[in-house]
Amino acid sequence: MSVVDPLNPAGARPTRHESFLAHDRFRFLKWGALLVFVSIVLYFAVRPYGQPYGGGWAGYTLGTIGALLILWLTWFGYRKRTYANNSGRLAARLSAHVYLGLALFFVATLHTGFHFGWNIHTLAYALMCVVIASGIFGVVAYARYPRMMTENRQSMTTAQMLGRIAGIDDDLRGVAMPLDDTTVAIIERAIETNVIGGSAWRQVSGRYPNCTTAAAMAHMEALAEGHTIVQDAWRQTVLKLSEKQALLDRVRRDVRFKAMMEIWLYLHVPLTFALIAALTAHIISIFFM
Amino acid sequence: MEVEVTVLTRRGAAVMRRSQHASAPRIGLGRGTDNEVPLADIRIGLHVAALVERVGGISIEKLGTSPLTVNGKSVDSASINTGDEILLGPYRIEVLEPPEGCDGAIQIELVQPMGAALERVNAAARIGLGQAGASKRVYAWSGFLVIAVVALAAPLVVFGGKLVTPWHQNAPQPLVPTLIGQVWDTGEFSNAHRFFGADCATCHRGAFARVADNACLSCHSKVGNHVEHGIQFGAIGDRLSSMRCISCHTEHRGIEGSVVRTASLCLDCHRNLAETAPGAGVRDIGGWPNGHPQFRATVVADTARKTTTRVELGTNPPPVDHPGLKFSHAAHLRPGGFPALSYREMTCSDCHVTEPGGESFLPITYKNQCERCHELSFDKVALPWPNAKVPHGDDTGIVAAVWNYYAGLALQGAKDAPAAPGVERRGIGMPTEPAPAAPPPDTLPWVTAKATAALGIVLDDKRGCAYCHFGTGPQGVFDTKKILANDLPPKSDTAHFIAPVELRTRFLPEARFDHSQHRGVGCADCHASRQAQMSGEILIPGIDTCVKCHGSENAELRAQSTCITCHVFHRTERGPMRMSQETRQ
Repeated sequence: MSVVDPLNPAGARPTRHESFLAHDRFRFLKWGALLVFVSIVLYFAVRPYGQPYGGGWAGYTLGTIGALLILWLTWFGYRKRTYANNSGRLAARLSAHVYLGLALFFVATLHTGFHFGWNIHTLAYALMCVVIASGIFGVVAYARYPRMMTENRQSMTTAQMLGRIAGIDDDLRGVAMPLDDTTVAIIERAIETNVIGGSAWRQVSGRYPNCTTAAAMAHMEALAEGHTIVQDAWRQTVLKLSEKQALLDRVRRDVRFKAMMEIWLYLHVPLTFALIAALTAHIISIFFM
Repeated sequence: MEVEVTVLTRRGAAVMRRSQHASAPRIGLGRGTDNEVPLADIRIGLHVAALVERVGGISIEKLGTSPLTVNGKSVDSASINTGDEILLGPYRIEVLEPPEGCDGAIQIELVQPMGAALERVNAAARIGLGQAGASKRVYAWSGFLVIAVVALAAPLVVFGGKLVTPWHQNAPQPLVPTLIGQVWDTGEFSNAHRFFGADCATCHRGAFARVADNACLSCHSKVGNHVEHGIQFGAIGDRLSSMRCISCHTEHRGIEGSVVRTASLCLDCHRNLAETAPGAGVRDIGGWPNGHPQFRATVVADTARKTTTRVELGTNPPPVDHPGLKFSHAAHLRPGGFPALSYREMTCSDCHVTEPGGESFLPITYKNQCERCHELSFDKVALPWPNAKVPHGDDTGIVAAVWNYYAGLALQGAKDAPAAPGVERRGIGMPTEPAPAAPPPDTLPWVTAKATAALGIVLDDKRGCAYCHFGTGPQGVFDTKKILANDLPPKSDTAHFIAPVELRTRFLPEARFDHSQHRGVGCADCHASRQAQMSGEILIPGIDTCVKCHGSENAELRAQSTCITCHVFHRTERGPMRMSQETRQ
């Protein structure tokens, strides 16, 4: 007796969103696991004379599988980006890329025979590990940051947030008019200098130590304590400044999340190219000598 | 003072003017609403300037710190006339001809508008790592090129251009090529080869070629063969001769050594040699300790023919050696020692003296081991020469030695020999000295009788040769009567009457047992000498003794042991491993 889903009697593919990780009922996870299992069996069943050292037919088989996987995954990554509009196949490609990339780590580690040194061979392995680790970071980032971004934006786009900041700047120009010159100069700086994003470190860290708006807020608060001031203008300005500060914080968080989703690619892609160079040197040197 | 103030605003091509009159003794300009002319821009101060009436006109004075420029000159105060241009922050003020009833007229225009706030914010925001000057493409190609040059192109030049030379050439290795060459080093050098580790070309002599045997043989030319040259073992022999040095020897595998120790390296052939190479006479080995047959000791088969035989240990009845000697370990290791000889209780090392390397023992000889207690004297009579002894190791001389001894004794007058003639002085030309007088006629029988009696003891099995030795007579007995009958008085062609002795120093010549490696183990732990009554008993322990300590190559609680722990692949006694004509490239 077979159980038929009453909502989906034909057994068609469910239309709900399916993570690429679970693509086709974890098809590529199974493939990857199978590859790892076969590699481990090969490693322990076929022992070369002496220690396992990447040589022997088991070692060369593991090495060949690893090298082909590296080239294939690179090509995959390239294709994935080229034909990004084909969403169904994109999910399949991405799923395969992730699981076979993870399997590659085990294949290559067994290929090393756990011998490492200060040479091109270990460099190739280390580069591969960093590429895989950055890829894992990427998967985590893609699972984590889009949701955080949505929550942070509160159904505004980045452009809308920037527009609101511009509007507050205009408002500030009006409300700060009656304030004294020193205060106005500080507020004018907060209006003129809106630091959003910038250097890679600033984008990733989300730290803006010289924020002019924060400085203006601090100045206004100090003023409130010790000074007789134009009460209404002060209150209005503080209101606007704090609103701007909140928006800046939010847009800067948005920038940070975007940067986190991007930063790993700056390791993943360039180090893949470095890895291919190192892999070529590794293979040529082994057969040259 | 009354001044007409016109505010000029441009919207595209349209120009709007709005005029009003300001009337005060001092007309202030600034952001503050208390000014006569308020300027609604946050960029200028609350009170920046004031128009003041002067004799013959109006002047402008700077207030605060905002700069005031009149006709291109920064001033603190200046009189103004029609047509002058005043710049005040973002404003341009033009002095006009005053209309009727006014003291002055100015036209104010905001020439530096604030600009669209959104555009500014957008322009300032740098979102995305691409905006931060990061380029994946640049990084990717830089990394690719750096590694391709340093780790691929440079070593290719170093090795292809022969910038590193063989160790034998004694050329100093330049530092940079050496360092570049090390990039390709696959692992740590063995300790033995470290000293030429930088001289890659010592072993690596061509591009895309494995290390040739020639490279190894340039140092290791004397390395021994595994089998005798010229013996054909069929396919398995071809396999053996097709092996290269690097089939068994690896490099760059760590400091411990370049010899592959894995048992399977040997077992791949030795597992079924009985089938594949029956002529080799080697039994099949399945591994160690399981799968290894009982040891076969090489023992003496026949001392006269100097033949040996291999006997399996641990059989019942036990195998027997035939060294040609009557010797009891048990008797020698008697508790309490030998007080009559003033010798303490004996230990193994009293007789078994290690050779200098400590691996094995020096051969047992009568002179070094036996003589101290078993001296071969046969008479206690004091003589001018030290002892009345028979020689050891020279049985054909024994009869002569004994006979000569008594003959000498007789000549010295032990028997009633006649006195020697008196000394005669002899003049020139006098006749020569007469020959000595013949000994008395009973001297020869006396010597013969004494020698016969002594030889009876010398050949005796309680006090003489037969105590330790076998004779050449039937069943190894000494045919004393025959010897005495034939050999007295001594002749030049005396026959051997002591059977030869053959004491082996190695009983397991196919293996290599190093006693120095087993120094911590007592002799009796392996050799059951105290129970051995007969010299034929083989005291070499069998495999069951070894496996008490020696386990398989992966053993956890035994000494890890593999084939080459005991066996040697390169047998120097079998000639060189690679004849020059078959040296593999």
